[in-house]
Amino acid sequence: MKKLLAVLIGVCLVFVFVWERVDMVRLGYHIERLKHEKILLERERDELRVKVATLSAPDRIAKVAADKFGMTLPQPGQVVMVQSGPAEWSGASRQASEVRLAKADVPGGRR
Amino acid sequence: MAGSPSRTRRFVLLLVLLCGFGVVLFRLVSLQVLQAAELTVKADRQHQKTVSLEGARGTIVDRHGKVLAMNMDVPSVFGVPTALDSPAQTARTLSPVLRVRASELEKKLRQDRSFVWLARKLDPEQGHRLEQMPMEGIGTVLEGRRFYPKGPLLAHVLGFAGMDGAGLEGLERRYESHLHGEKRVAVLQRDALGRIVFPKDEAAQSPASGHSLTLTIDEVIQYVAEKELEEAMNKTRAKAGTVIVLDPQTGALLALAISPRFDPNSVAALTPGRWRNRALTDAYEPGSTMKAIVAAAALEEKVMKPGTMVFGENGRMTIANTVIHDHEKLGWVTFAQVIQKSSNIGAAKTGMALGDQRLYRYLQAFGFGQRTEIDLPGEAGGLLRDPKDWGRRSLASISMGQEIGVTPMQMVSAISVLANGGILMKPYVVSEVRDAQGQLLKQIDPQVKRRVISAETARTVTSILEGVVTDGTGAKAAIPGFRVAGKTGTAQKIDPRTGTYSATQFVGSFVGFVPADNPRLAMIVVIDEPQGESFGGLVAAPVFRRVGEQVLNYLGVSSNEPVKLAMATGRR
Repeated sequence: MKKLLAVLIGVCLVFVFVWERVDMVRLGYHIERLKHEKILLERERDELRVKVATLSAPDRIAKVAADKFGMTLPQPGQVVMVQSGPAEWSGASRQASEVRLAKADVPGGRR
Repeated sequence: MAGSPSRTRRFVLLLVLLCGFGVVLFRLVSLQVLQAAELTVKADRQHQKTVSLEGARGTIVDRHGKVLAMNMDVPSVFGVPTALDSPAQTARTLSPVLRVRASELEKKLRQDRSFVWLARKLDPEQGHRLEQMPMEGIGTVLEGRRFYPKGPLLAHVLGFAGMDGAGLEGLERRYESHLHGEKRVAVLQRDALGRIVFPKDEAAQSPASGHSLTLTIDEVIQYVAEKELEEAMNKTRAKAGTVIVLDPQTGALLALAISPRFDPNSVAALTPGRWRNRALTDAYEPGSTMKAIVAAAALEEKVMKPGTMVFGENGRMTIANTVIHDHEKLGWVTFAQVIQKSSNIGAAKTGMALGDQRLYRYLQAFGFGQRTEIDLPGEAGGLLRDPKDWGRRSLASISMGQEIGVTPMQMVSAISVLANGGILMKPYVVSEVRDAQGQLLKQIDPQVKRRVISAETARTVTSILEGVVTDGTGAKAAIPGFRVAGKTGTAQKIDPRTGTYSATQFVGSFVGFVPADNPRLAMIVVIDEPQGESFGGLVAAPVFRRVGEQVLNYLGVSSNEPVKLAMATGRR
């Protein structure tokens, strides 16, 4: 009976050993598949980053703005810096901050 | 008694079995003991795969994080000629995708070799098309390729990396030790089908990417500088041109535009002259822009005051048996007018009042004759000879910007001294180095080199240089609403054939800063060999104005003449 038990334990150990090896190989394949997937995703991410950088190039944006939307650079004097209200309007001595306004947006400004 | 036949058979059977086992045992000993070392190596070769891994090269971004250079894994295509049935058919199929002539591909595929490169580092779009048409005997591997998504923008500063990924020019070369990714060799286990099972050791983990660089450059300012320079180049049909924009308070480089431009994504067909950074490598005689520096030295040494009267010799003066001319015949004028009207005779007299040793000392202090030490490769130190090597006319010549060679970077650094109150800053282009995880490794702060002149002298020279723009030769540099200080320069080039000054080849330049009362931009514009009009005030000053007004708008710099608005009441 003891001999039979010893043999059974031995066989079990062999099975565990073999199962462990097989599982290791299976996990190895799985890891490689995931790595490949990661590489593909990283490639896609990098491609998108290059595309974003290319599409946001200033010369392209300027071309689209001019050709598609008819925009032009403001002429001298069309962009002015003005003192923003509170300090001046209230007469208080608070430091005035600056805002940028196109002349066309200035109330009462030339159109 | 003879043995029974069954015993004999058993004996023979035993003998056969023993012989059989003997053979197996012998083979076992032969394989496991005698040939063990050799076969172990062979087995390892079959089951293990050694691969060379390299981390991605670091990215380069502008001061707002806009990508200027980055790496991406792209496919490279190889062929196995011995595995191909019809090289001609394969070549015809691949030709439109790889954009290589079919005959050229076929020639490669007919070679008696087991591996041949067909195309390296394809565009992503080519890679996708190739993936949709798997072919026997054709394979791909991924390799890192450098992309410059903005094309020619900032190309002379960025430089480029070679096919092996190493930086060859510009920042790519200067910061190679930071940018390149970690290189590592890893051993992988593979099965009978050649598939990777699992890495044999830790080395197979992804190698670290290179460090990324954050520049002081502003992509938008760079674009404006390049656009306006190109426009001036088209108008003047000049040979070359340079625009540099610096923050005069810190020495941070905001833009560096050079024409002709090039695209770092495709440099194979270009000559080195095309990607040379002329702003650092090419020294030129600055001409009258040097008078601003000489004036600063004279005021600092108190040999001149803005109101000191100088006789203009009616436009003609003889020095060392040579005649110096002014383009305007001047009589008695103030020292400020000498600079504003760009009088050669007045400048020569100023230099003579200073004397050779003092002038030389100030030119050195302003950074001439030595590299600015900007973190870009290939910088020249210019030419500033020791006074003991000067001729009898040298003092006068140098005072009006001849007999001295300066680079545009030296000149804009020197003018920044006047802009920032008298301090020479070290120009720089990289502000931060970060690792692949974004952790800050190194921060480069503005660096003071030395005080050159007092703040008071700087203010006085600034006031004189404002006059150059309001009443002098630099009128076309005026930016409405802003006080501009600057100096024009028109220098004759040396004709290499005769060794004398050319009557047809000039360098027109303008160097200055704006707003003069609180400078945000120091800028130099150099137009090399313009055709037709060549005066700096006509070819370079307008570029200064156009770049200046757009950049000041972009930076939101307040005009000197603010518009005051009535308070909106809500009623209409």
